[in-house]
Order: sequence, then C-alpha cells, then structure tokens
Amino acid sequence: MAAELARRGLRDHRRALVGWCLGVAVYVALIASIFPSIEGSPELDELIASYPDVLKSLFGLESGASITSGAGYLDAELFGLMLPLLVLVLAIGSGARAIAGEEDAGRLELVLAYPLRRRDAVLAKGAAVAVEVLVVCAVAGFVLLAFDPLVGLDLPTTRVLEALASLVALGLLHGWLALAVGATVPSRALAIGLPAGLAASAYLVNGLHGLAGWLDPFRFLSSFWLVGSSPLGGGVDLVGVLVVLVAALAVLAAGAWLIERRDLQTP
Amino acid sequence: MPGSAAIEAFGLSKTYGREIRALVGLDLRVERGEVFGYLGPNGAGKSTTIRLLLGLIRPTAGRASLHGLDTVREGVASRRSTGYLPGDLRLADRLTGSEQLDSLARLRGAVDERLREELCQRLDVVLDRPIRQLSKGNRQKLGIVQAFMHRPELVVLDEPTGGLDPLLQAEVRALLRETAADGRTVFLSSHSLDEVQHVADRVGIIRSGRLVDVDSVERLRERSLRHVTLTFDAPVDVSELARLDGVRVAAVDGPHVRLSAPETAMDALVKAAARHRIVDLVSQPADLEEIFLELYREPDDGG
Repeated sequence: MAAELARRGLRDHRRALVGWCLGVAVYVALIASIFPSIEGSPELDELIASYPDVLKSLFGLESGASITSGAGYLDAELFGLMLPLLVLVLAIGSGARAIAGEEDAGRLELVLAYPLRRRDAVLAKGAAVAVEVLVVCAVAGFVLLAFDPLVGLDLPTTRVLEALASLVALGLLHGWLALAVGATVPSRALAIGLPAGLAASAYLVNGLHGLAGWLDPFRFLSSFWLVGSSPLGGGVDLVGVLVVLVAALAVLAAGAWLIERRDLQTP
Repeated sequence: MPGSAAIEAFGLSKTYGREIRALVGLDLRVERGEVFGYLGPNGAGKSTTIRLLLGLIRPTAGRASLHGLDTVREGVASRRSTGYLPGDLRLADRLTGSEQLDSLARLRGAVDERLREELCQRLDVVLDRPIRQLSKGNRQKLGIVQAFMHRPELVVLDEPTGGLDPLLQAEVRALLRETAADGRTVFLSSHSLDEVQHVADRVGIIRSGRLVDVDSVERLRERSLRHVTLTFDAPVDVSELARLDGVRVAAVDGPHVRLSAPETAMDALVKAAARHRIVDLVSQPADLEEIFLELYREPDDGG
C-alpha cells in the first residue's frame, strides 16, 4: 500500500540516481587516480603547513594526517567537502521532492485521498530517500576500495566503512529534514533552503569553531563536528554518528506526525 | 456502517485565516444509491466541501462522515470505499496510463482487474502513451477509471466531464446512473445546471460558502430561466408576450426580441409568439449565476 509510494519515488528518480552514481564514481575514481602524483610530492606537506589555520580546518587538514598519505589526501579531497556536498545535494533534493515537490505539482491531492495514513506516506518516502543515499554512498565506497590496491591508498577497510557511515548519517539527517519540512509546510523552497542552510552552517561551525571562540559552544549542534571531519585520518566519532542518526530519525518522525495535522494545499 | 447515509455533514465549516469563509455551517445528508449534484459558481465552496469530505483539509468547525465513518478521526477507513476525481487532476506525467493505473491500484491494495479493464475499454482510455503526451480529455478519462476501478460505494467527482467530448460526457453520465442503480452513491460537483440535470436525483446549490437550497432536479428546472431570442418577419407588439407569467422582455430591436422565461412559461410563450410569423427561435439555458441572481438574490451580498 504505502510501500508503493517508496517504489514510485525510486522509479521516478531512477535515471537521475544512475546519473548521480556515475558522477560520484567518476569523481572518486579521478581523485583516487591522481593520488600517486600527490604521494610523490612531499613539498605539498610544506605548502599546506604554510596555509592559514582557517583553510586547514575547513578542508579537514588539521588532523595531522599528511596529505601525501592516502587517508590524509582523501580526507582533504573527498570527505572534507566534496563527497558530503554531493551526498547532501542528492539527499536534500530527493527529500524536498518527495512531499513538497509533489504537493507543489498538485499530485499529492489524489494520493492522499486514497485510504492510506499520511504518516505512512511520509515514512515510505523517507525510505526511498534513504535508499538513494545508501546507494550513492555505497558506490563511492566501492570505487574507493577498488582503487585502493591500484594506486596504493593504503586504507584500512574499517575506516572506509566508518567514513561511509558518517556520510550516510549526514545524508539521512538532511534528506529527512527536507522531507519533514515539506511534510509540515507546503513550501518546496523551505524544504530545500532549511536543510541546505543548516548543513552550510554546520560545516562552517565545524571548520571555524577552533578559531572563532564564540562559535565553540555551538559545535555540538554541528552534524559535521559530531561525525568528525577527517574520517580516514582522524577517525570517525561513532557516538557522533549515532547521535546524528537518532536526530535524523527524530526529524523524520516529527514530519510524519506534523503532516497529519495540516491542510493539503490546493493544487 | 449499515444504515448510515453515504455522506453526512453537520455544521461543516472551513475558514482560512480570519476572513475567508470558504464553507459556512454545511448541513447535508446524501442517501445511498443517490446521484447528488453539488452546484455552484466557481469559488462557491464546492471543492472545499469535497476536500473536507476526503480529509485533505480539516474542518474549522463541524464534522462530516462517509458511511458513518468520521472523515477526521476515521479518515483512512472512511476513504476505503470511496473513489475521488479531483477537480484539477494531476497525474504522474512520465508514467504511461497503464503504469499510472497499476501504481494507483497497488496504492489502494484492492482493485477489481476485470472492472478496470472494462472501464478502460468503455471510455476508450489511452493506456500505452506517457501521460504528458495525453490531451486533457484523455487524462480525465484515466482519472475517471481510477475513481471507479475498485467498485467504491461512494464516488466523489469534482467537475467530472470537463475536457470530455459530448459523446464521452454521455458515457460518463450513463456510468453514474448505473452506479446509482447499483445502490452505490455518486456525489458530483458542477458549475453547470445543464451538466447535472440529466443525471442527478437531487441538487444542492451552494453560493459564497453557504448551501442555499437542496431540491429535486425537476423542481429546479421548473424554476430555472431560459434566454429566448425570437425573430419575426416584421416588428411585433411585445406587450402580449411580456404579459405572460414570469416572462421578461430584455430588448426589442425591430423584428428581434430577446426575453427571459422560466421553463414553465415556455409553452405559453411559444403559443403566443406563434400568432405571428416566426423566422427563428433560439432558447438557451441561463447560466447558473443568473439563476442564482434570480432565485437566491441576497440583498446584502453581491458576491
């Protein structure tokens, strides 16, 4: 019944999802295949040592892992910004489309007139968002592990899995937030803007809290800080990942609860 | 619930913000096996009523039930044996017609496959093309099929025949009559009395969010106006026409006479006119807004 909505959500987006997977795979492969030339340039470490602290902390270079090591390099080039960014754009887009986008297009009218609970509809759409996030993260991890022996990244598999787990947690939190916002208010702009703004602030707080003292107390609110920003070199904070996952579930549950109480917008 | 009416509303109201009273204290009872026409001009509150009945919006006050099941507290159960055609139907553009129907069938859980096929054949539905390539009428047909394909006890249709050609309109009307003959219930909204009068048993008239009248179609037709344009071969004295009960002469232009008359006066009108040589006679139903102005004139309300 409501599971049909998850199926449909994935089906409607399958081409785009394939595109995302290809893009992420190519990007990860490209970054990985450049590594041998980075590895052979120890002067890069000196260059980075001369970077201002702000840049270092924003790009995940503060963990001490050298950028000429596989872990340090991938933290800086993939996990510090690009991979979370890609996953978040996918997750937020998917979450916002699921309810807010459908309502905007007037397609929710017929669906919610069917005998199904609105909260089940939200949960089914949430499952579809989760599948998309998981698939893209899995593709990134698969490509990374496939390239590891070829270019000598020398990554411990558990670290890679943990890094992917933190990526999934970030994706779920923001994707489900987009879904929940759309479930609560009939605004696609807000469903995209709110999680995007939250992610950007979380990223900045995580990068800058050490330098701007007044931000320091807020670091607990930053999802990026919670999971740890140099997952391969510095390790993932698994408790933080758990906290982010719990927050994600709470947000999804809130969306499922709040949609029951409101009027559907006239198409 | 056996014994309970198909639709019941008690003081059902919807207010947006503080000002906009989309529906005010609707009391309504639609019996099983009835075709009920819900008539009103655009923006009168027809769709608001329907969306309240289907639990898409929540009442500000009052309550409603379908087959005795409360539309808010027992929303899912109340919609189980209900079919709905939205006034502004939006389907999944990228799916084909049959994929869309498959998807909706899975969403509902229980669909009579044979019935669905029969309906598609009967309405000549285009099933194998993406919906975005379909005309409005062909989309509407898909909407009608999905509203009927699970053999619902109650079908709620918001302006069902929009975009359909006359032949299909007749087919849909036949479908509605059969549904009622089957003991099931049809609730259809329209802004056109002509559309409703051939199919409905009773008609509710809504204006500015208020149900102003519920009447049988016959009684309403008797009271409803016709616009008549008579063309004689020479100018005539119109006073003998104007004397007839209910007839009002609107304009005289040489041999052309425009007047309005209730249906009950038509016989006398034609006989009186026939004393002269008639070149042409055109009779048209007045639109609903005019009927409202005539029948339900509210001195304090211009809208």
